[in-house]
Amino acid sequence: MNGWTGNLLRINLTTGSVKKESFTEEFARTWIGGRGFALKILWDELKPGIDALGPENKLVVALGPIAGIPAPNTGKTVVAAKSPLTGGYGDGNLGTRVTVELRKAGYDGLIIEGQARSPVYINIVNDRVEILPAGEIWGKGTYETMDWLYTKYGKAAGILTIGQGGENKVLFAVIRSLEGRAGGRPGIGAVMGSKNLKAIVVKGSNDIPMADPPGMKKLGAEDLRKVGEIDKKTGWSVQGTTGVLSWCNEVAALPVRNMRKTSHPDAWRIDGERLNNARVATYGCPNCTMRCGIAIHDHEGRESELDYENVGMLGSNLEIFDLPQLASLNYLCDDYGLDTISAGGVLGFYADAIDHGSIEGNFKFGDAERAKELLRMTAYREGVGNFLAEGSRRMAQEIGRDSMDYAIQVKGLECSAYNCKFIPGMALAFATSPIGAHHKESWVIMFEITQTSRESYGPEKAQKVVELQRIRGGIFEFIVACRFPWIELGWDLQHYADYFNTITGMNWTLADLFKVGDRIYALMKFFWLREFPNWDRTRDYPPKVWFDPSNADKEGPIAGKVLEWDKYEKLLDSFYEIRGWDKRGIPTKQTALGLGLAKEAAEVEKYAKLE
Amino acid sequence: MIKIKIKIIGPFIYEAGFSEKELELEQPITAGQLLSLVNLQEGRPKIMTRNGKAISPKEELEDGDRIAICPIYSGG
Repeated sequence: MNGWTGNLLRINLTTGSVKKESFTEEFARTWIGGRGFALKILWDELKPGIDALGPENKLVVALGPIAGIPAPNTGKTVVAAKSPLTGGYGDGNLGTRVTVELRKAGYDGLIIEGQARSPVYINIVNDRVEILPAGEIWGKGTYETMDWLYTKYGKAAGILTIGQGGENKVLFAVIRSLEGRAGGRPGIGAVMGSKNLKAIVVKGSNDIPMADPPGMKKLGAEDLRKVGEIDKKTGWSVQGTTGVLSWCNEVAALPVRNMRKTSHPDAWRIDGERLNNARVATYGCPNCTMRCGIAIHDHEGRESELDYENVGMLGSNLEIFDLPQLASLNYLCDDYGLDTISAGGVLGFYADAIDHGSIEGNFKFGDAERAKELLRMTAYREGVGNFLAEGSRRMAQEIGRDSMDYAIQVKGLECSAYNCKFIPGMALAFATSPIGAHHKESWVIMFEITQTSRESYGPEKAQKVVELQRIRGGIFEFIVACRFPWIELGWDLQHYADYFNTITGMNWTLADLFKVGDRIYALMKFFWLREFPNWDRTRDYPPKVWFDPSNADKEGPIAGKVLEWDKYEKLLDSFYEIRGWDKRGIPTKQTALGLGLAKEAAEVEKYAKLE
Repeated sequence: MIKIKIKIIGPFIYEAGFSEKELELEQPITAGQLLSLVNLQEGRPKIMTRNGKAISPKEELEDGDRIAICPIYSGG
């Protein structure tokens, strides 16, 4: 089976059993890899209603056919589980040497089951798999853990690890790798921690099966060089993703003060230019020639690797416009293994609730030192940190009053760093993201503001959201690769179909790949429906505060404007219609059958009726 | 004469040689004409906004405008 190793490694931490399992060609062609593999495995193997932090949940690490192959930018790994934060399907991707090493070790994925009796880590070297005691690293931050493992296994080893956040089951704990890479925003790090699993170390030495190894080698090497040249010519990676902060500030889309405000006169203090000036190192993922990780010294003198989401959510959203101080917050999140986006959302919500008088507490916007202390307390679930560790939706449920209205989350996952109080299409993108609010699925904001009318709720916006979901949340999540060459440098999407075909020996078009993306999106919705049989469209609504006229900007380009409910409903209808989903936001039976999901439709109908 | 503020965003800063400044310009002048006064590679797609709203190259500038010039970002 060219393109795939054909193997998954199943490790049960309760029993200590390790099994190498092969999968069929039909499975490979239907789900391709990455998110597709993870979703299908979790769908087939998890009973609905299980405790996401119990031994019944499974942690899946999944790769795709082009993952780890020397080609642009193939260093990504998908991590997935039932989310403890949202209760639905949860996943994320991160750059890591595990991508390369696990494929070379002979696996396209890991399925980790059960719960170890005491802390362990897993060491994989080809067919040799060890479950080892992690007593020396349990309780340590991710940096110290990685150093300990590098010393033991060498710097070339692939490592996934959690920090204290994952160990203590903070609901927005992530899995970490390399200098500043993290993935699994919906609490996948907490799932790993619930299994008493501190780290996974991988080294491999086999060839990855390919239909045309010399052809792929030549194509991959040439294209890596070309992507690097385009990056140099355009200068994209000089500021990387952080360049967009100034634009968000100009067009009133910046998260400021728990997204109450959309711009700030001090935003320039933390923009891409300032960040690049402060740069002390640049980091990237394996197989990347446009490295985007800009490291600067934080307030305490440590290296902290930043991107836009970190700066937006831990900086402007908390009204912290001191670059070294926000770098400290970012460092702490990385070390504790907390998601920076949710951490910024949770702290912003907490400050807002105190400001509103809805809750008593000690935290104000702009207070970086107290924010550091709160992050530590969250990671260890100490005092009020135990409350913050639950995420903004659960906090709002506890606080009551109208606080849910300004908990900036969808389906329980905090929104990324785009303030959509008057950006209907991007609000739709957040609301229909299949893991909760996340920018990775569909970043429609620039199209929306520059190529359409910002005021419009027309079907062209729903169409664009779906188009981007098919590419970003579809192709890139299942083949598996980083989307940056395509989205930031204009590297033609067809290249990825070419890599896929060169490796697998297949002859698929982009349309064939899009169909897989649609299948995955439909099954992700079935996963949610099976967990929440009373599902309705309100779960695809953006935060209420974005519709509140009293929250409108007083000045600037969107003064007096907020989202409008009746128009949003029509936009959501357009989205459902394009996807072939009913008014609840559930794929119809006909749509499911057209995507080859007859068996899955029959399964979900045990819980809720399909139209 | 009109006074406008111009803001350059992202890697364009290093081509233009500045990130923000105030200019005095003869009227009439369009957004496209202003763009030609800034040292940026031709042929590379650019986004312009006036006071936070998208503006086409044909539109005339007015006194007090804030013009931002940005490459096309696609959202990390």
